[in-house]
Amino acid sequence: MRVAAPELRAEGLEAGYYAGQSVLRGVDLRAAPGRLTVILGPNGAGKSTALRVLAGLLPPAAGRVLVDGRDVTRVPAHRRAELGIAFLPQGRSVFGALTVHQNLELGGWTLRRRRPELELALEAAYQRYPKLRPLRDRPAGSLSGGQQRLVEVARMMIADPRLILIDEPSAGLAPNLTREVYDELARLRAEGRTVLLVDQNVRAAVEIADYVFTLESGRNQLEGSRERFEPELEALIRAWLRV
Amino acid sequence: MLSLLLQAVVDGILLGLIYTIMALGLSLILGVLGVINVAHSVFIMLGSFFALGLLTFLHLDPAVAFVLSTPVFFLAGAAVYRLLIQRVQRAPATIGILVLFGLMVVVETAGILLWTTDTRVITVGYSNLRLSAGPVTVNGARLVAAGLSLLATAGAYGFLKRTLTGRAVLAMADNRDAASVLGMDVGRLSMLIFGLGIAAAGAGGVAIGMTFPFAPQDHIQWLAWAFLIVIVGGLGRVESTLLGGLVIGLVQTLAGALLPFSWVFLLMYVLLLVLLIVRGQGLAGAQRREL
Repeated sequence: MRVAAPELRAEGLEAGYYAGQSVLRGVDLRAAPGRLTVILGPNGAGKSTALRVLAGLLPPAAGRVLVDGRDVTRVPAHRRAELGIAFLPQGRSVFGALTVHQNLELGGWTLRRRRPELELALEAAYQRYPKLRPLRDRPAGSLSGGQQRLVEVARMMIADPRLILIDEPSAGLAPNLTREVYDELARLRAEGRTVLLVDQNVRAAVEIADYVFTLESGRNQLEGSRERFEPELEALIRAWLRV
Repeated sequence: MLSLLLQAVVDGILLGLIYTIMALGLSLILGVLGVINVAHSVFIMLGSFFALGLLTFLHLDPAVAFVLSTPVFFLAGAAVYRLLIQRVQRAPATIGILVLFGLMVVVETAGILLWTTDTRVITVGYSNLRLSAGPVTVNGARLVAAGLSLLATAGAYGFLKRTLTGRAVLAMADNRDAASVLGMDVGRLSMLIFGLGIAAAGAGGVAIGMTFPFAPQDHIQWLAWAFLIVIVGGLGRVESTLLGGLVIGLVQTLAGALLPFSWVFLLMYVLLLVLLIVRGQGLAGAQRREL
């Protein structure tokens, strides 16, 4: 399956959670259509904050967010879902009191007035992630960490997003599950979706990346294609660990 | 003695059902939005006067007032959300409590100006009707009020559990950001749940007005009762509030059967105090999310 995927561009982003305390101090980013772009950087560099701004959860103090050239800076988060943008936040985000199926249904919230389409999307999700079928009626909160992550990914995919923002997908997962997560990311890219990934797992992320940005203290540091990046990787990680 | 206890249990269950709808809005608004609505009880008071007004001027039965109160108070709640809550959403939670406290004082004062501090009762044909089954006798108005309360509680439960919008509300209560990025308009859903909470308070006020005498300045007792129910039952879920309501209803009637009347109220307030100390996490939802 190939889908037409949009380009995401951020220009001069400035943002923070408290007045007068900027986390982002002028960040430029670009996620090329159908490519997997990774944002790396030490703790506190502003990676997650950048994703929150791009997802519409945090209004930037300055700068613009463009999707295929269209300015979406002031578009609220829930309207961005309708534009085919998805965001998988860091940490546990399943709706714990609801069943797996109910979680997936809510993933199709934008399809709620087109019930037949939603039913097809739900069935497609069970085919794509067959491990979820036997868990269908279990409360999502009762699942293991890896299963919850799978529910989150499947829930995000119900609406068939073309632009996917993902924050730390492998945090807290066992190594064999981590492998599955990166396989899934590679599959999203292979399907031609635009993926923007924030990750602490530097090696695994760079391995599947087409293009890499690094941030430090809320500013752009380096950027380049994976080929350009790989030789510098070890030095970078060492530098960040000292920060 | 046995028939006395049986009578107390039946009365306690009926009272508990009325208490459930009376407290449901406080529980939902606190559980889903993290807002401690200290103005909750003035909407109960307004619900009682709504029923009295419809009876006095339009000769409408309180059961009709109960049904009509839900859309009217829903709109009032949605308006309060838009005009007050949304404006202080990013402020610290204490500001929100102060704003709602201010609303409570304003509405109570307006109520006293409009209706004076006189105590009122709602009297209809079945108010003094006594229905007997074996050793147990129930009051007609209380039975009707409890039945309507049960229906409204079941309606709220059905909405939250069986509809996609209801489950979106539960999802938002769990993880606001995750709901938001999936396309749910959390601002609208918040207004909806606030409106529903106030609708339940208004309907609860009709049921309370059918059961007890009321006056504009008496509502604080219901705020205390509602907090007691939320702390006993737990937060934000309809079934928890039902449990809390039934427990409080039964404690009140059983205590009433065993203790002098004046002791019952003291017992309830002591219970609230003790529970706030030992089970304070019943209100922890308020700290989890900022208003």
